[in-house]
Amino acid sequence: MELEISIAPDVLFYIGSFPMTNSLLWSLFISAFLISIAFLVRFSLKTIPGTLQNCAEILVEEGFSFVRSVIGTEEKAKKVFPLFATLFLFILAANVFTYVPGQSAVTLYNEGGAGTPLFRAALADYSMVLVLTLISVFVVQIVAVMMHGPFGYLGKFLNFQSPLKFFLGLMNIVGELAKVLSLSFRLFGNIFAGEVLGAVILFLVPFIAPLPFMFLGVMTAIVQAFVFSTLTLVFITLASEIEADELVEQASM
Amino acid sequence: MELLQAFGIDYKILLAQLVNFAILFFVLYKVGYKPIFTFLEDRKRKIASGITMAEKAEAQLRAADAEKSAIIIDAKKEANTIITKAHELAEQGKEEKVKQAKDEIAAIIAKEREKIVAEKTQTLKEVKAEIADVIALALEKITGEKMDSEKDKAMIADMIRHK
Repeated sequence: MELEISIAPDVLFYIGSFPMTNSLLWSLFISAFLISIAFLVRFSLKTIPGTLQNCAEILVEEGFSFVRSVIGTEEKAKKVFPLFATLFLFILAANVFTYVPGQSAVTLYNEGGAGTPLFRAALADYSMVLVLTLISVFVVQIVAVMMHGPFGYLGKFLNFQSPLKFFLGLMNIVGELAKVLSLSFRLFGNIFAGEVLGAVILFLVPFIAPLPFMFLGVMTAIVQAFVFSTLTLVFITLASEIEADELVEQASM
Repeated sequence: MELLQAFGIDYKILLAQLVNFAILFFVLYKVGYKPIFTFLEDRKRKIASGITMAEKAEAQLRAADAEKSAIIIDAKKEANTIITKAHELAEQGKEEKVKQAKDEIAAIIAKEREKIVAEKTQTLKEVKAEIADVIALALEKITGEKMDSEKDKAMIADMIRHK
């Protein structure tokens, strides 16, 4: 037995020229799971809620009140909440499902005899994380443009009023780009590192020793889901607010 | 580009992931959040209306209670007045009856008295007439002569007057 660690996900098979990776399969499975839960809740809504409905209600209600407390107004919260909740649920489910016992042992052998694990943590695939991050950052940009107008938003980055302001504008560009990297690598790094650490410990001491790391991993799974969705929420909140000096500018125009 | 490959980034997979997440987002929005929100809103409204209704019902109950006690007090008052009135009427009726009875009795007594007086005079008259006859007979026997009726009557009248 040897320890295999790859940053890139493994390709299971090709559909036409489309490479089906194990993490993509996993993320499809998680999406299907969440969708089926949603349908289950949707068609069993009762005035007196059952356990499942209670959980869903708590999640939706508490999540919404959290979003509102961060973003300020009910109206904005209603628009942002679906993205926030979906990001949170998807990341949480993807992370927690990694701890289903046995799933990492399922291996697919191809003709060459080389085995590829059928499942891989969806967020231990950088492309998945990158997609989530791009969605998040893209939404932030759209919100900012909607709030400030296209030229007002551009003016934040290209400001020729003074050398200092020009420099700060360039810094803003760097900041926006850094958002993509920091958001994506935080999530990817945590999950991937957790996976690798788990695999290494499991390789070295198969019994008992991996347990504390698994506990930590479960905690990370929940915390990272919360962190990613909350950071997105905070970025959107910041983008949706008009600063005071800008208000003065707009009034003087 | 090598870096991207090392991370296993392929635009096809990126696209697939994006579509996957978009579908998840859309379905959760349509099936999850929206209905749950409307459902929660509905229930909130229902509960609120229920509470206001209960409050209203309680207020109404209290009002009804107050009304009830007011009605009872009124009824008691009325009953009292009716009873006192009835008492008064009864008293009045009694007095009247007694008075009437007394009057009647007095009237009866007066009638009887008149009757007695009339009978008495009648009896006296009859007795007087009889006595006159008896005396006439006695006188006939004593005198031995049959007095004619005129003489006789004159004599008797004279005797009675001089008695």
